[in-house]
Amino acid sequence: MEPWKIMQPSFAAKYVGYLVPALNNIGKQASPSVDRCIDTEKIVRYEINMALALSAEGFAWSHALKHKLRPNVDNHNHAGKSQSYLAHDDDHRNTIPVNHEPAAKKLKVDPKRSETEAAEEEEERLTYLRKLIPGGSGEMMVDDEILLSELGSYVSCLELQVNVLRSMLQFN
Amino acid sequence: MLHRLESLKSCTYDRMDMTVLERQAARLKWQQQNHVVQNNNPAELCASSVPRFQGLVGSNLGSGQMVELKRLEVFLGTDNFQEFLNFPVTGPEFGDSEKLDLLPPEAAADYCISRTSSCQITALDTAVMKEEREDMSLEKMESTIVSGRGSFNKRKAETVADHKSKDKRIKGEGEGESEVKTKCSTEISRNSSKENSKVSEVQKPDYIHVRARRGQATDSHSLAERARREKLSKKMKCLQDLVPGCNKITGKAGMLDEIINYVQSLQRQVEFLSMKIAALNSSVENLPMKEFPAIVANFPAAAKLPEMAGLPCFQLNPLQKESVNCMLNESMHPPQTEGIASASVSISEQSLSSSSMTQLQPFSTWNMDPQGLYNMYNMGFH
Repeated sequence: MEPWKIMQPSFAAKYVGYLVPALNNIGKQASPSVDRCIDTEKIVRYEINMALALSAEGFAWSHALKHKLRPNVDNHNHAGKSQSYLAHDDDHRNTIPVNHEPAAKKLKVDPKRSETEAAEEEEERLTYLRKLIPGGSGEMMVDDEILLSELGSYVSCLELQVNVLRSMLQFN
Repeated sequence: MLHRLESLKSCTYDRMDMTVLERQAARLKWQQQNHVVQNNNPAELCASSVPRFQGLVGSNLGSGQMVELKRLEVFLGTDNFQEFLNFPVTGPEFGDSEKLDLLPPEAAADYCISRTSSCQITALDTAVMKEEREDMSLEKMESTIVSGRGSFNKRKAETVADHKSKDKRIKGEGEGESEVKTKCSTEISRNSSKENSKVSEVQKPDYIHVRARRGQATDSHSLAERARREKLSKKMKCLQDLVPGCNKITGKAGMLDEIINYVQSLQRQVEFLSMKIAALNSSVENLPMKEFPAIVANFPAAAKLPEMAGLPCFQLNPLQKESVNCMLNESMHPPQTEGIASASVSISEQSLSSSSMTQLQPFSTWNMDPQGLYNMYNMGFH
């Protein structure tokens, strides 16, 4: 039922194993530009997402995330990478709006709503969730069941990721 | 006699909320048992069939649930049977269910029989149902058994009491269904349950006869739809376990809302932490990597934090618990490099959503001694 819970230790190991060298590489890259802070942020964000995608193999969302980060197999060079930073960045911004509407709408709705309205609301929330999860709008997750399973794995991997990042910060 | 026992079994299965194929397999076995054992001694029949039933269900269960099953066994095998003996025996009377003002469960089952329809279920649906059967979790079994026990007792009491209308009986069963679904609540809701289960039996390889509950459509589309809805609700329950604070929320929309909020908060935390790492990276050349094996080793231990549970004044969410545990471990090792004070303060204040960089102080300036770290740790709890 929840196979992803079994993979916690391996996830952490893979994640750290990918991220730390990548972060070290960032430090070693000598590019003293004015926008270095912003670039560093973007690169860090990229590497963090890449680590997430690589540590959680076998899920539709991780597959989609990997493809978003590496648009095609051809773009292996640095230029391609920076393009994907920017591309991913825009998507990243779009997927986290500060206020999300479904909650606000829910308060206004009459408690005694009809079934069709409830179904509509659920649909609304589901489409919103699709935007949040990588690859949610793709063809892999058209089915609601698959979407819910992917959500489960995504949520737990996000939790793991947050734990790992916090620990990394604390030990520094 | 056999008919009564058989229909009681069907009601039993309704209570148990088994999936379609499980019921049909059990029913088939029941029938085989009934046909094979041409036994005039009903007690033997009961006793011999119950272990089979037990074996059927018990294979999925651990020892904890066997206790519950034994109660069922008693109910089926002996107690209820005595009441059966008291009922009018002959077959034709049962067909005429309107006459009965007693409330044997069989009457309800007979009523259900009148709605029987046979439909051809496609291979896809069978596959869906098979998958559903495999997916059935231990927890759900446990909860259904526990609630099944409650409803059995209630039904038994009503049986003994006599003199209730047939309609009320049907409603009682419908209520039993909804009880099972709504997490073992003991209150009776008077609304007819939407999520009534159905009993099916295999008579031919390519036909599945479905017994629908009252008020339910019986075409194959709605059956598939119902199976799909069962799967979806199962998944939602899994998600409910995953997302903290969702136990009290009923309803799909509220749950989805909570999930949305949680995912968003996690994503924001990741972004915030990534910014911190970026800031750290720009100020420090190399990230010390000595403690990372310790981090990784801590993760399984972080799941259980018994010492944290007893602290009433400082409510930690699981993420905070994990980080505090890391702090605990670090205070035991000699401190390596920069301090963690600002990190701990920001975590304890839980203000991660606001990316207030002013809270962060330069990381490179500190050398915390063990005593300082220990004080910081204590400070977090006041």
